[in-house]
Amino acid sequence: MLQEILSALVAVATLPNLLIMVAGIWGGVIVGAIPGMTGTMAVTLALPFTFYMAPVPSILLLVALYKGSTYGGSVSAILIKTPGTASAACTALDGYPLAQQGKAGKALNMALYSSVTGDFISNLSLIFFAAPLAVLALHIGPPEFFMLMLFALTTVAGVSGSSLLLGLVSAALGLLLATVGEDMYGSFRFAFTPDMQAGLSIAPVLIGLFALPELIKLVVMRATKEEEAAKLGQQHVTREEFMGSLKSILKGSVIGSVLGAIPGIGPSSAAFFSYGEAQRSSKNGANFGKGELEGIAASESANNGACGATMIPLLALGVPGDVITGVMLGAFMIQGLTPGPLLFQTNIHEVYMLLIGMLVSSVLLFFAGKITMRMFAKVSHIPQTLLTPLVLLLCVFGIYSIASSPFDVAVLLVMGVVGFAMFLLNIPAAPFLIAFILGPMLEENLRRALAISRGDLSVLLSSPITWLFAALIAFVLFITVRREVQKLKTERRVEQ
Amino acid sequence: MPKPVLRGLIIVAFFALTAFILVPAYVPRPAFIPGFAPPPDMWPRTVSLAGIALGVLALLFAVSRPHPEEAPIETDGSSRARMVGRFAGLMLAFVLFLVAIPLLGFLVSTMLLTLCIVLMTGERGHRIWIALIAFGAPILLQLFFHSALGTQFPKGVLTRPFGF
Repeated sequence: MLQEILSALVAVATLPNLLIMVAGIWGGVIVGAIPGMTGTMAVTLALPFTFYMAPVPSILLLVALYKGSTYGGSVSAILIKTPGTASAACTALDGYPLAQQGKAGKALNMALYSSVTGDFISNLSLIFFAAPLAVLALHIGPPEFFMLMLFALTTVAGVSGSSLLLGLVSAALGLLLATVGEDMYGSFRFAFTPDMQAGLSIAPVLIGLFALPELIKLVVMRATKEEEAAKLGQQHVTREEFMGSLKSILKGSVIGSVLGAIPGIGPSSAAFFSYGEAQRSSKNGANFGKGELEGIAASESANNGACGATMIPLLALGVPGDVITGVMLGAFMIQGLTPGPLLFQTNIHEVYMLLIGMLVSSVLLFFAGKITMRMFAKVSHIPQTLLTPLVLLLCVFGIYSIASSPFDVAVLLVMGVVGFAMFLLNIPAAPFLIAFILGPMLEENLRRALAISRGDLSVLLSSPITWLFAALIAFVLFITVRREVQKLKTERRVEQ
Repeated sequence: MPKPVLRGLIIVAFFALTAFILVPAYVPRPAFIPGFAPPPDMWPRTVSLAGIALGVLALLFAVSRPHPEEAPIETDGSSRARMVGRFAGLMLAFVLFLVAIPLLGFLVSTMLLTLCIVLMTGERGHRIWIALIAFGAPILLQLFFHSALGTQFPKGVLTRPFGF
């Protein structure tokens, strides 16, 4: 094993790989720092470029973009009170008051230290837990996989958007779209044109769904905000300040690692949970929301702490926990690698390279953040009216270059309109994408399970593992419905 | 019509269209299916029926809850008709772009689309930046994808004599 780790380390520590990771981190921070641009957008826009790269560097690029954008979200949250990404919303609560006190640089530094610590701990959790989970997963068959994927879909549907019902509708739409093309026995489904016989490619669907609606919103609604950015001011975080926040950083990192590993939870929920926990347990709890460094530490350690952990279900089970890991699953498949338990047997060298690369990228995040903090601070001023059309251009060129197919460009544009319609109807897009990616595997496992059992549906509840996932699905449905009922009651009370 | 009711109706209509019209017409059953494997229309039909059930639930909730709290959509204050006009303009731009690719080639079509989109965002300042994004960026991207990745972008029937 040590030999394999060393050989993976040597393979990762090449100049091109390091440059790719640095470029990914910088690119991610820049995109994350621009309000309205998200980590999902950064990862999806980079996807076409990964077609021409070797498997591991391509995944490392996407991971670096993910980490960079999660940290980058804190830049605009602190400087202009506009979180670049949803996971940085809590950072704005204390970051902006600090910026107003002339301590923006200090807040950005604390965000960086916490992000790097959370990220590193999260990567360690990935290294320690992914392989054992993959070994366990080797013993499960089609019914168990079907129930596992159903659990992942239910969780994503439950936590995305404001309503479980709309999350499930979104997932159903994604499952339906995934059936377009040839099925496992050679029948063509919904092949309205000859191009559709091969099915819809992942890249145009997900890029269209997540990158283009922002452009359509900008053109149709034109709701752009001009915010005055704070100066960096005081920058140095003292040893006492860091040690005072260390407990919250460590706690946030663990919260991020645990919640990140559960499909559907992701960095945003982890950041909110960690912030609340730090506020409850800190002796400075009363200062939270007024410019408390510990608040930034709790939020940033948790949101970056979730980044590595979201890869645990992806690598070990082949189940993406959120949209970004969904995109990464697409990237794995494009590269001919199938995440899941067999990956640890057939491509162990690549797995080790990926894990080591993720640890290295944590260190790179620190240096990249430190060196270019001033530059990133300027990024949040770029007008969206210029940037968003550039995103469209990148999407169109990127998608065409993948398969030289004008049909894919048309799919991209249509999916942009679908994403916009879903936005107007308040239907969340994340379950759609996860369902679109998981759909073929979900159907294949169900059909295999039914074929094995001669059409007997009770095969889906035939083992302790299937019962466990059924219980987890029921639990997720129960707590989501209970949360919504409580929200409804509160609304009615306020109305009265 | 309140938005939640409209949403419920759209969901039911879409999944009903899929289950009762599109699946029977566009998901053919093969003459022979090995073993006890379910037919190819089983999964899309199941998902569509589940979608109808979810839509009906959404509709019931919308009717039983007359004033649901939904976050308002941020706009620049324009009238609904104006925003519909902008959306229609954007759709027209997308369609014209796809139609223009075989005629004008990929490069010129993307230039025109980008210029059109920048102007549609309401941006009128930063003229040099607009020109760079609309004309410079497509050239750079085409050069990058063509030389670094070997992508062959389609030339237009009308612009082929000029080499693009």
